[in-house]
Amino acid sequence: MPLIELKDISKYVLHDINLTVQDNEILVLVGPNGAGKSTILNVIAGLIDYEGSVHFDGKDMNGIPTHKRGVGYLFQDLALFPHLTVAENIAYGLKVQGYDNSVIKTRVDELVGALHIGKLRDRYPINLSGGEKQRTALARAIAPFQKILLLDEPTASLDAQTAKYLRAELCSLLRKFNMTAIFVMHDLLGAEEIADRIAIIHKGRIEQVASPKEILFEPKTNTVYEFIGMPNILNCDQCRVLSSGLIEVQSGDMRMILPYEGDTISKIAISPHDIYLSDTKPPGPALNRYSGIVSDIIPMRSIVRIRVNVGGNSLMVEMSRESFGEMDLEIGKEVFIIVKLRRLRYFQI
Amino acid sequence: MTFKRLAIAFSIAVFLLYAGLILSIFYFCKGNLFLATLLSARTLFSIKLSLFTATVVTVMSVFFAIPSAYALSRYKFFGRQIIDTTLELPMIVSPVALGALILIFFNTPVGGLFQEGGVRIVFTVYGILLAQFVTTVGIATRLIKAAMDEIPQQYEQVAKTLGASPLKAFFTVVLPLSKRGIIASGVLTWAKALGEFGATITVAGSMALKTETLPIAIFMRLANADIEGTAVLVLIIIGLGLGTLYGVKFFAGKRTYV
Repeated sequence: MPLIELKDISKYVLHDINLTVQDNEILVLVGPNGAGKSTILNVIAGLIDYEGSVHFDGKDMNGIPTHKRGVGYLFQDLALFPHLTVAENIAYGLKVQGYDNSVIKTRVDELVGALHIGKLRDRYPINLSGGEKQRTALARAIAPFQKILLLDEPTASLDAQTAKYLRAELCSLLRKFNMTAIFVMHDLLGAEEIADRIAIIHKGRIEQVASPKEILFEPKTNTVYEFIGMPNILNCDQCRVLSSGLIEVQSGDMRMILPYEGDTISKIAISPHDIYLSDTKPPGPALNRYSGIVSDIIPMRSIVRIRVNVGGNSLMVEMSRESFGEMDLEIGKEVFIIVKLRRLRYFQI
Repeated sequence: MTFKRLAIAFSIAVFLLYAGLILSIFYFCKGNLFLATLLSARTLFSIKLSLFTATVVTVMSVFFAIPSAYALSRYKFFGRQIIDTTLELPMIVSPVALGALILIFFNTPVGGLFQEGGVRIVFTVYGILLAQFVTTVGIATRLIKAAMDEIPQQYEQVAKTLGASPLKAFFTVVLPLSKRGIIASGVLTWAKALGEFGATITVAGSMALKTETLPIAIFMRLANADIEGTAVLVLIIIGLGLGTLYGVKFFAGKRTYV
């Protein structure tokens, strides 16, 4: 039975949202600002009124107030209680729910240990760094044995490296405590790292709910396709393992040598901004470098999109207006492209 | 002169104004007279009455102000703006007018019912309490509301997601975080009640050893051209007021969270 079920939810920008989240699943809501992602979390938590119905494990939650829903919520700005220490913040939910002091102590010890904040337990939030605040807020959100955790852009305020590290840690914690989680994120790349499924939200509607691979390789609507950065999807006709960790793939007349542990790849996604384009032949070995013919030039506000026919494939390349201005590009002209291997994503049937 | 020095000079000038006025009292304060006036039954009664009414009124005002301030800070309801604006009545209407309002009310048929109900208000200690309450409760509410407005509502939302009922969230999050504002409001309410004169004398009169609070006693001594006695009472009321303010600032101002 699905743990969370939203039926015909409407509120503010949201229109007839139907969404199911399975037990122990990590679902990530991704979409532009104002799409209604946070509103969905607020509806699930019961923080706002709404039309439609919310069910947890088949039980109708309509009319049940927030404090009786048993939903942990990690807000974007964390909102750690400034008058309580780290340990008191974590213990807060257990205290107000009337747990025994022995249970509270054991749970707080377990969480400060799991999140590596044991040394901070007597500090006040004002004396914590961004990452320490995140860990404390997370420990507080899951402390009262919540089964569901809602996270509203929990890593948005952190630098990329810390955010990546914390996301990985979050995931392992969620698995460890058998929690069902709904994240709100801006960043599709971050979502891919942690999500079992991704829901793309646009203007209050769910455009697609699917696994990260499906979203990337089989976008159902133009909105999704545009949101994921209009990747070039190449079908792989042949694959040949060269050595451990390297594979040669042929798509049309393009041959690519890629770092890959498996023995077959059926599709490759290349983001338009992960392809270098030059009007002169680049120096160096010809590996993963191709020549092609410009078939279309689409000027946008700050970038220019250039469609290039390469070995039977039509690739979209993105570059800044400044870079475009420095090249003398026109339709029919021969150009050279280099693919950034590190950012490639693969799909294997 | 730099702007910093100029600004500090202004603040010192303001301080000197008050300090000069206070120091001038000592010109009329002779040691024996001070003790004699302080220990007289009439002065001791005034001090006790003033401390008693100011303290009771502070408790009453803060008790009413906390829930009122929370409602005005957090909820949208019909008439909220009208209530919010009406809170400023004690600031824009003179205390004498407020006292007159109370007297007028007790001369209406509805007010008469209260008087006939057994509790005599006019010219009694109850009158002092009511007059001081009317002049302070609006200001207390306004001050506490300002403190609560500063607390992000998200704290309460977090508390609710952690299992706290709205009432528990109020007592465990909102009240502790607005503690400084509530204490400040209480102190100012107490100081204002202690010094309240216009409304009190209008409602409770100036009966010695019955309704004579310290400000009324000062007025009565001044009316009788008793400058020395007036100076002593002024010194007492200043000592009580400033002593309390400095004390509370010292004890309540030690911890900050932000």
